Amino acid sequence: MRRALFRTLVPIAAIAIGASACSGDDDDGAPPPDSAAAPADSAAGGGAPDSVATDDSAAPDDSAAASSTTDSAQEVQTGESVLDRVKAAGTVKCGVRDDLTGFSTLDPATGDHVGFDADFCRAIAAAVLGDATKVTFVDVATENRFPALQSGEIDVLVRNTTWTASRDGKDAANFLHPTFYDGQQMMVAADSGFQSIDDMNGATVCVAAGTTTEGNVATEFAKRNLEVNVQSFADIDLVQEAFQSGSCDGWSSDGSQLASRRANYPDGPDSLVIFDDVFSKEPLTPAVADGDTAWAQAVEWAIYATINAEELGITKATAAADATGTDAAKVLFLGGKNPDGTTLDPGLGLPPDFANKVVSQVGNYGEIFEANLPAIGITERGLNALWSDGGLQYAPPYR
Amino acid sequence: MATTAGRPPLWRDVRALAWAFQLLVVAAVVAVLWWLLDNYRTNTARQGIATNWDFLDQPAQFPIANSTFRQTQPVSDALVEGLLNTLRLSLTGIVLATVFGIILGVARLSQNFIIRAAARAYVEFVRNVPLLVLLVLLYIGVVQNAFPRVNDSWELGPIAVINVRGTNAIWYEGATWRAGVAVGVAVLAGLAVARYRQASADRTGRPARSGLWGLLVALVVLVGAWIALGLGVTTPELQGNRVFGGITMTPAYFASLLALVAYTASHIAEIVRGSIQAVPRGQGEAADALALSGFQRLWYVVLPQALRIGVPPIGNQYLNLAKNSSLAAVIAFPELTKVTQLTVATGSPPVPAYTVLLAIYLAISLLLSLVVNIVNRRLAIVER
Repeated sequence: MRRALFRTLVPIAAIAIGASACSGDDDDGAPPPDSAAAPADSAAGGGAPDSVATDDSAAPDDSAAASSTTDSAQEVQTGESVLDRVKAAGTVKCGVRDDLTGFSTLDPATGDHVGFDADFCRAIAAAVLGDATKVTFVDVATENRFPALQSGEIDVLVRNTTWTASRDGKDAANFLHPTFYDGQQMMVAADSGFQSIDDMNGATVCVAAGTTTEGNVATEFAKRNLEVNVQSFADIDLVQEAFQSGSCDGWSSDGSQLASRRANYPDGPDSLVIFDDVFSKEPLTPAVADGDTAWAQAVEWAIYATINAEELGITKATAAADATGTDAAKVLFLGGKNPDGTTLDPGLGLPPDFANKVVSQVGNYGEIFEANLPAIGITERGLNALWSDGGLQYAPPYR
Repeated sequence: MATTAGRPPLWRDVRALAWAFQLLVVAAVVAVLWWLLDNYRTNTARQGIATNWDFLDQPAQFPIANSTFRQTQPVSDALVEGLLNTLRLSLTGIVLATVFGIILGVARLSQNFIIRAAARAYVEFVRNVPLLVLLVLLYIGVVQNAFPRVNDSWELGPIAVINVRGTNAIWYEGATWRAGVAVGVAVLAGLAVARYRQASADRTGRPARSGLWGLLVALVVLVGAWIALGLGVTTPELQGNRVFGGITMTPAYFASLLALVAYTASHIAEIVRGSIQAVPRGQGEAADALALSGFQRLWYVVLPQALRIGVPPIGNQYLNLAKNSSLAAVIAFPELTKVTQLTVATGSPPVPAYTVLLAIYLAISLLLSLVVNIVNRRLAIVER
């Protein structure tokens, strides 16, 4: 008996030792700041074993010794910028979903990912690789999206993900520029008798688990001094299943998701009502992994290119002509030659004509919006109008 | 050197080589583990992901349905809530699966063809489908679509109100420890009376009816203790679109419990059948020779011997059930695995969070196997 007990205790002890080793010396030392790590990372670009020495500034000393003994496949994880990896691979691995009409769903005819988020994946591919078709779409579950990003399973996450402080920090995501300013809303059956959230005291509200929405519902009802029973479901399809079966009084999620689901509801969109109250800020933002400034800037400017293009009045149809046209601002932006024969290369690691590729292959921000979202009932630009039209979409100048 | 002329040199000494080889294997395993750990630490440091246990004190930022848990409580509290749900599911499942499994196992050997065939069909069907599929099917197919909507709930008087949003059943009202004391005292009183009746029956030869007496006394004591300890009863009541009172069993819990019990019972049934068949035939024949009834033969002669054989494998099924309860995460029942997933989704570092999860499951399993081992040792037939 004593020996049996011993045998069972040994694995526990082993785990405890392993676990304490993880937490050992990293605890108090602040993580290396991204800005310090990134130049070293990008300098290590080629991935040749002898360039690893430059990693020392970014990583604890013993790791450099360990990584120099490993093969080049490991170098990709520890040193090289994703920008170089993407260029070498010739494809952008873009984390999306396949179940949200209007944002990212499968085209029934071709099986391709289509939608607002999918188009931004294409814009990134167009900017980095010059070809909007060079995207490998990877469907990631809500709960797996940040681990997938951290582990390098995906290069960029464009999956209607809300930018929050915890995700920025704890989840080690580097959020770039919001592609869609959203807010959480409440949807009920049209025949439910509810006129607003204030009528819903004691209601059962269904949400998808692992999102910011769960906490928001509880907070909002508490603020209004109402009781609520929040039921979480594994994914949005199960929420809809539950809602249809009468398990929920209300269905709460980002307004864009509710609109998307309402547009495709089996009983028709008119059987559902979305209340006007918006009770949270949900800036849906593409993200990359922390610690890789070169890649972050490339993705960020691919997004800015769509906004700047709309502001400059460049569309998919006019981009090619504008690049060789007479408007100096447009020529500069699109990477054409100005009358003096020079071309601006801002040093982002992107080709000088990346904006031309983005706009001519995918379109400007307004075109991407109009192509995908009115079909699911989002007709107003609202917060997503250009700043010059009273919205929030504002990109830094390209010069 | 010369004195050990009979021994081969070190590099040809089988014992030395065996030692060296084992050392090499251990060194290689340690090196690989160290390499993995080092990669993990390098990569997490580069991305600024925490590798310590501080996340346990962070606010959880998500609610847990049907609990008093608030989202401002720390992650560790959320894990405790998840652990309670896991234990609730596992322990209830173990009890029900045992009862159901023994009945099924006995039915597999019934003289009645229809009972035998039905039990066999059930066992062979359930045992040969993946538990996950069974679980999702029960959840979406049965619980979500076969149960009535709230406004046409099935109302079973004050006992239960059942609808698609869950089942509300009659339950105790008051401090849990008081209810525990009341039930404990009642059970002890019932057992004592039953034992006394049995002893006097053995002495006098009159029929004991120990079960009936025990039950009666237990009931009376329960009611008395209930009143004495100031406990109440809460009954479910349907008002409009809400059910008030009673204890709520969520659809996810119901489906998880059903799937775990159905699946584990089919495995236990096979163990029980095998164990019964392993009892020497002469034992049953001896019972027949004593003119015991079919039930007496099973209850007093065959089953006690069969269950001794069956305890270790049935214990394994208990462990499986406890571990399989993690599958309930798929239908978002907030047990340990789901809660861990949620904490990771709200910012807890994945590797430490899942390490905690692993350690808790390990502790549950080891405790369970300890209990099973003790029971096994107490029950084992002492052979001299």
